Amino acid sequence: MLLSQVVNGLSQGSLYALVAIGFVIIFGTMNLVTFAHGEVYMIGAFVGYFALGVYHLPWPVALAAGMAAAFGVGSLIEKTAFRPLRGTGHMPPLLITIGLSIMLKDLAVVIFGAENRPVPSVYETTIEVASVPVSVLQLVILGLSGALVVALRLLLQSTKIGRAMRATAQDHEAAYAMGVNVHRVFNIAFALASALGGAAGVMVGIYYNTVYPAMGSTAGLKGFAACVFGGLTSVPGAILGGLIIGVVENLTVQFVASGYRDVAAFVVMVLILLLRPQGLLGKRLRAA
Amino acid sequence: MMTRQFPLLTRALSLAVLALAASAPVAWSADPIHIGLSAPLTGNYAEYGQLFQRAIDLGVEWINASGGVRGRPIGIIVGDSRADPKEAAAIAQKFTSDSRIVAEIGDFSSTACLAAQPIYDRAGMVQLSPTASHPGFAPGSPWSFSIVGTQAGEGPFMARYAVQTLAKKRLAVLHINNDWGIVSKDLFIKAAREMGADVIAVESYFETDKDFTGVLTKLRGQKPELLYIPSFYNEAALINRQREKLGWTDVTMMGPGSLYSPKLLEIGGDSVNGLYTSAAFFPKDPRPEVQKFVKGFEAKYKATPNMFAAVAYDTVNLLAVVIAKAGTDRKAIRDELAKVRDYPGVTGKITFTERRDVVKEYRQLVIRNGDFTLYDK
Repeated sequence: MLLSQVVNGLSQGSLYALVAIGFVIIFGTMNLVTFAHGEVYMIGAFVGYFALGVYHLPWPVALAAGMAAAFGVGSLIEKTAFRPLRGTGHMPPLLITIGLSIMLKDLAVVIFGAENRPVPSVYETTIEVASVPVSVLQLVILGLSGALVVALRLLLQSTKIGRAMRATAQDHEAAYAMGVNVHRVFNIAFALASALGGAAGVMVGIYYNTVYPAMGSTAGLKGFAACVFGGLTSVPGAILGGLIIGVVENLTVQFVASGYRDVAAFVVMVLILLLRPQGLLGKRLRAA
Repeated sequence: MMTRQFPLLTRALSLAVLALAASAPVAWSADPIHIGLSAPLTGNYAEYGQLFQRAIDLGVEWINASGGVRGRPIGIIVGDSRADPKEAAAIAQKFTSDSRIVAEIGDFSSTACLAAQPIYDRAGMVQLSPTASHPGFAPGSPWSFSIVGTQAGEGPFMARYAVQTLAKKRLAVLHINNDWGIVSKDLFIKAAREMGADVIAVESYFETDKDFTGVLTKLRGQKPELLYIPSFYNEAALINRQREKLGWTDVTMMGPGSLYSPKLLEIGGDSVNGLYTSAAFFPKDPRPEVQKFVKGFEAKYKATPNMFAAVAYDTVNLLAVVIAKAGTDRKAIRDELAKVRDYPGVTGKITFTERRDVVKEYRQLVIRNGDFTLYDK
């Protein structure tokens, strides 16, 4: 029983983690929090739904399509909403993302309709590991989260744009002075984060067999919580944060009551932040 | 210059307006009679609000095509509540202070209805909710009416179905944690216990939850014979999908009439086979008013109407009948509405009790081979 709940928590947490990584990239490079990330995730999920459910394409193609669409939307958001506001401080871009979030969600209601759409399942088989039922899809999602993180790490460490992103994250003025096209870096970072959100959307759509315009709200909130939990700028921290939130939630359901699920998850988060204000794996902020 | 341009512009505009009016199918000499609709057209419950609007648009279209009410067309003024109690109250302020509006239909959730209730009560305007099934709603104000049938009728009906018809004695409940869900599970549990069943576990989930694997794993450990799920069809479909993924098959699933929707089958797939539910509205019902509504809705929207569309359709037709008798005075409409007896709605006969709610007749249903069928042993 305990073991099944841990497995449930890990697969749920890996979905939070995928969303959280997007927040980390955006905050890490642009020093910006976006509340529209959940809606980008929803757009990815809808594209995945059309690819899988309407055009009957294989799921990796649906995943790629969802990521590509989210990449495009992310790039567009960065260009139209953030670039003109660069240098105006934290508040205006933050408010814009709240507006964007509402706008994108209701636009989706207008275009797609508000109802839940059924997404066909892939990998329906369940295998037993030490008498705990684990669905193959759960393993695929865990594996995919891992693969995306490794790919991201490679991109950041060993490509030109990755180096430019890291340089910009450290000090964007200095990077600019050294000839890095900061605008382009910001744009690609935001689009990349959006693509990861889109990937999470597609996989969540497949996992729960449903997509709908309001699906981004809670996902965005949980993903953001996981990102804060992990330390805002640490990718492994965000993953750990997502997994811990998922497991704590499911253990609470088992040993306390289902109604306390979110309470417990956020209590643990508050406690950790009180003890380690920089988050689980975050770096302590310098006084400057 | 300005003085010369303006009349020209006005003239051009009025010509355009005239042209628009002329293109309307029926030329009305009188102003419309306005009814307010408060419903969640955006936000998390937008799906249900849009069903209201579609069904009501269809009803109004037919009423106006057959000559309207008292020689005047019906017009609907829509307020989007987002199922938010604050918004529903703001819409109530707007509707009651608009002298054109004679009565209101809405809102979707009991919570939003209850928030708006004092405002309609003070202003003296009929608040006719298609779906508020909280037993406290309609008795709360002489101006409040509900036609969906309260949980006070449905809870015991479902308990009889589970304990007496299906002979299940070990029951567990997984309910949505809102006003409706809490009352719904309380009434079911009370009735089931009186019939001698054991309710061994009660768990809840929040409206935004999508992952039920944790709570299902826990409930499975208690080994209930039957799991009763007072929830909406989207969550019910997910609950069953995830129950099947967990390999939990030795349990009977049952839920109230809120599960009755083609969407449950579409999203739930094979996992909802064998689920027991009930319905006051069944599209295969041969009664002519039901068939007219189902065919009209399918022709207009390419989708089969569900309970939510059907009750909304009943509200607007009911108001049209009442206004035809009582006129457009807000108080006269209330008094006439309270007198309604045996109105043949698509969701069954409507007779208001003295609490201004309706005791519904339900059908016992079960899902077999991916479709709803009447239960017959």
